[in-house]
Amino acid sequence: MRAARAAWRFLRGEPFAFVGAAIYALIVVTAIFADKLAPHDPREILRVGRRVARYLPISPEHWLGTTSSGRDVLSQLIWGTRSALQVGLTAAIVVVAIGTLMGLLAGYLGGWVDKLITRLADIVLSMPFLPFMLVLAALTQPGTTVVVACVALLLWPNTARVIRSQVLSLRERAWVEAARVTGCSNTRIMFVHILPQVLPLAALYGSVAIGWAILAEASASFLGFGDPNTVSWGVMLQEAYANQALGRGAWNWFTPPGLAIVSMVLAGFMISRGSEKLLFPKLADK
Amino acid sequence: MKRHVVAAMAVAGLVTSLPVSAQPAGDPVRTLVLLAQPQAALPQEYQAAELIAAAWRQLGLQVQIRPLPSQQFNQIVWYERQRWDTTTWQMVGRPERSDPDELTYNLFLSANIANGYNFVGYNNPEYDRLASAQREELDVAKRKQLMIQAQELVNRDQPYGFMVHPKNVVAFNKNVWDEKSIVDQAGIGARNTWTWLSIAPLGAQRDIILNSVSTPTNLNPFNISGAQGSWAAEITWDRLMRIGTDGLPQPWSAEAVTRPDPLTVDVKLRAGMKWSDGRPITIEDAVFSLVAPGIGDKSPMYKPFVANIANVQATGTDTLRITLKKPDAAFLVSSLAKLNLAPKHVWEPIFQSLQGKPETAESVMETTPVSSGPFRMVKAKLNEEIVLEANRDHWAAPKAARWIMRIQPNTEAALGALRSGEINFLADYNGDPQILRDIAKADPKIKIAEALDMGFKFIAYNHRRQPFNSTPFRQALSASIDRELLAEDAWGGAAVPSNSWVSPALTFWHDQGIEKRVPGGNVEAAKKILKDAGFVLVNGRLHYPAGVKETTAPFQ
Amino acid sequence: MSRSGFLRLVAERLGFLVLTVWITTTVTFLLFRLMPGDPTLAYLSPTFNEETRTALLRSFGLDKPLWEQYLIYMGNLLQGDLGTSFLQRVPVSQLLADALPNTIILTLVALSIAYAFGIVAGAFLAFQRGRGIEGFAIPAALATRSAPEFWLGMLLLAGLAFQLGWFPTGGAVPPGSNLGGVVDRLTSPEFWRHLFLPALTLVLYLQGLPLLLMRATMLEVMNDEFIVMARMKGLSRWSIVMRHAARNALLPVVTAFALGLGASVGGNVVVETVFAWPGVGRVLVQAVQGADYPVAQGAFILISVVLATMNTVADLLYAALDPRVSVGARR
Repeated sequence: MRAARAAWRFLRGEPFAFVGAAIYALIVVTAIFADKLAPHDPREILRVGRRVARYLPISPEHWLGTTSSGRDVLSQLIWGTRSALQVGLTAAIVVVAIGTLMGLLAGYLGGWVDKLITRLADIVLSMPFLPFMLVLAALTQPGTTVVVACVALLLWPNTARVIRSQVLSLRERAWVEAARVTGCSNTRIMFVHILPQVLPLAALYGSVAIGWAILAEASASFLGFGDPNTVSWGVMLQEAYANQALGRGAWNWFTPPGLAIVSMVLAGFMISRGSEKLLFPKLADK
Repeated sequence: MKRHVVAAMAVAGLVTSLPVSAQPAGDPVRTLVLLAQPQAALPQEYQAAELIAAAWRQLGLQVQIRPLPSQQFNQIVWYERQRWDTTTWQMVGRPERSDPDELTYNLFLSANIANGYNFVGYNNPEYDRLASAQREELDVAKRKQLMIQAQELVNRDQPYGFMVHPKNVVAFNKNVWDEKSIVDQAGIGARNTWTWLSIAPLGAQRDIILNSVSTPTNLNPFNISGAQGSWAAEITWDRLMRIGTDGLPQPWSAEAVTRPDPLTVDVKLRAGMKWSDGRPITIEDAVFSLVAPGIGDKSPMYKPFVANIANVQATGTDTLRITLKKPDAAFLVSSLAKLNLAPKHVWEPIFQSLQGKPETAESVMETTPVSSGPFRMVKAKLNEEIVLEANRDHWAAPKAARWIMRIQPNTEAALGALRSGEINFLADYNGDPQILRDIAKADPKIKIAEALDMGFKFIAYNHRRQPFNSTPFRQALSASIDRELLAEDAWGGAAVPSNSWVSPALTFWHDQGIEKRVPGGNVEAAKKILKDAGFVLVNGRLHYPAGVKETTAPFQ
Repeated sequence: MSRSGFLRLVAERLGFLVLTVWITTTVTFLLFRLMPGDPTLAYLSPTFNEETRTALLRSFGLDKPLWEQYLIYMGNLLQGDLGTSFLQRVPVSQLLADALPNTIILTLVALSIAYAFGIVAGAFLAFQRGRGIEGFAIPAALATRSAPEFWLGMLLLAGLAFQLGWFPTGGAVPPGSNLGGVVDRLTSPEFWRHLFLPALTLVLYLQGLPLLLMRATMLEVMNDEFIVMARMKGLSRWSIVMRHAARNALLPVVTAFALGLGASVGGNVVVETVFAWPGVGRVLVQAVQGADYPVAQGAFILISVVLATMNTVADLLYAALDPRVSVGARR
């Protein structure tokens, strides 16, 4: 409760973070009530008589028209929030979990553990992200699992580095020393004492990772390695592109999913930018 | 306790069987998985698969569409033949398929079930007999009768669910090219060798600039390049014969080809032809070109085309005689119009240097290819463009100055390039034909040429897995497919309904009206076929006939 | 840092680079050998039989055991031999050599413009700290970074190429032009016309990072004591910003440029695909789609090596430029 009030106070003072959080809230609500909000089943092939209802323009019946295969664009857009949240959140949680753990181990234990993790991070960072995802998707089954796995496998070093340097400075603090003297185990110090201190920072990286995951899913789908059975914004864009929505000038089809992606990724950025004062008080002094 | 359960089960059994108490049912048919390539790769096929799945659901089946990336898709369908239920597939048109023999012999012959082209596993001795008989029959009228019988047999057995024959939709800039100089080749359309030779410029622009949506492969006389690469190969290298616009083979680099008996082919070479390095084309070159693919395994893709040749012998300075192992009605089409003429003085040393190495002649790259065709290769940047220039010394020299193929994988961009004049021949278009028609309507310089293709699109049933081994079941599936709807809505009108592997574009061989004679012909009739064969609907779900167990594991 | 200390750092970094490249190439090898599907599938045709298939597999070297393939692969790599394309039957190194200059030109041009713009705009915004323009400029910079690159490309293509017809719709050179060499291309106006849209897409996408980075470091530097001192000495605000703050703030931006160069070579795949730009990224995408392992493998290795090298360069640049950095205590 107190945390909620603190968050609210923070948001009121931070217009960027406020807008970001508002976008997230809107997306979450849409995702929860997607089945109630969407006027049609997003996978249903709509018909006009015997024929398929292709490329219907914007109308009261179809607010954003229909696709080349006779599906309702608005319904797909609404259902897309579910897949976006699912991909974004899983990827963010996995990245943050791995990154924080690695950063914590490297920063606190130091020595060869630090060296090993830092080297591993360097090697991972020299794997090109999109190409790696393409190859992995072609190797296994295209779909969201690959996207999440790639984001997790390749993006943890960013979080780990930041957490590591944070831990390095925390380690030298008096209360950590005190805990050590009173006989606390390393594990306990790391996970009980230090972890809570670095979690806000980690969460911030998580909000950015949500964005990366959604962009990654969109790119993979665009190149034909998405999960064609899900309704996602990336798949919508790819369908529009493959079915020549550009040539038909079907702006009603290919603009909305792109805007949806932009707003969701932007929300993550805005929250983390908005929180820069919280994180770097040095800047806020000015 | 136990007794209650048994009683409950008995009641449940009674209830479920009540609506159909007249007909006892077997197990419910498992969920059938229809494989397809992703929408991104083949949007039209994907939509067709969705429409067909919807129709099959009306028969009481549970159907799931499973899109797979092309590589996995091909791997499963081709090399894991026990595994899948049913899939979308296609056969594309090629000049050498103007003779129906290749597909007739390969697609349904029982000898090809294990690892050949009969990947569905159709097995009917009567068909085997017809397919072999037509191959050995040199009398055209008799051979036609055999072809008609074969098509009727396949119509009865429905080894495939035929969907449509696509139309080839191309477009060109009629401010640049004289409309009348563009010719149609049966089953191929306006984009063909004859057009490249006869197309006449109206003004200063004399370069044919066409597009290709995929990257061509290495160009040399012993590599079969992909579809688009073949367009360039066909005009770069000469062949003894070519398929004419009527779909029949005609002498090209040969002056005359005669068949004194079923096993003998006599060829007389055209006089005065030269290689691009200035040397004359000799009868030794012609013999070499027919023999080389068969030596060792250095030309694996061309080897099958010479497999039936027992012997080739020069019989004079400009004549040679080919002796065949078995009679082959389609030999002129499948071999003489297919094999490229290659210079012996260039390629014999190359073949020798390849002995004992893993590489084949297919990957040999020539810096300046020595060829004799109506065009010559100037530049081959396979990811950007291929540039050929007219060979003015050729006896059939083209009217255009250069032939430039731009590699443009994006359909939208290709359309834009046609409108802006970057390309003047849209040769490779697999997009929505309606968009192209709209563009042509709005832009007077663009002219569309649509022609029926000799290829076909179909749903393959895996006969190795029940219930696809049941002929009535396949008939019912085929009958429920609304081919007009597919042609109109999935292919945007650029297709016609199909019920045979011999396209109506091959007028002579096609079994007229067969697309209207699918047994049953609609969803209601399909339901009746299933009922008559003992299949039972239980609460809307299709069950096997009484006593039949579902023993096949669902596709994973 | 002492001179010998720096040399030691260089040696250490280079050694690590070699290790990284070895690990990357080995992982790549294993990945591709585990790929499902058989390369001969690409050739299916009714005339295709078992004999043809075996001959093809042998010519690809796929009939040997895995460890033997690995030794051959590594040996060939050391000699710069990346094998032969399954599909196109030409040496992979040649396909890549054709494509690499296009990718590098596109990347360098876009990155330079993006960074030039980002640095100036970032410095300007730092200067305008707390004013109304921030409320518009920062979300705008963030928004361009949030948009999928291919979608930006689609919008530009739909508007500027399809509807207005100002730019070509794809490719790098006009049809049949003899712009083979890099110099020919760079001096041809047509080439730049083709380059415009893909480069613009990348610029839009890339400018956000240098802008925000420049702004943040400028703000940080302007708080430093020496700036405060200079201010007290009565120097004008502008000259302080330009002469002192900007110079110091540039350091992380320069490092980010080197990192960005490496990352863009791999990240260009979507932009190159949208605009049919004949670069390494498009070669990779086509090869993966067509299961042309040697090409996909070669393109992937090339991209990884460029990325790893640029990471190393960035590290060294940072060490060379920043006197505060000492060996072992980076970041």
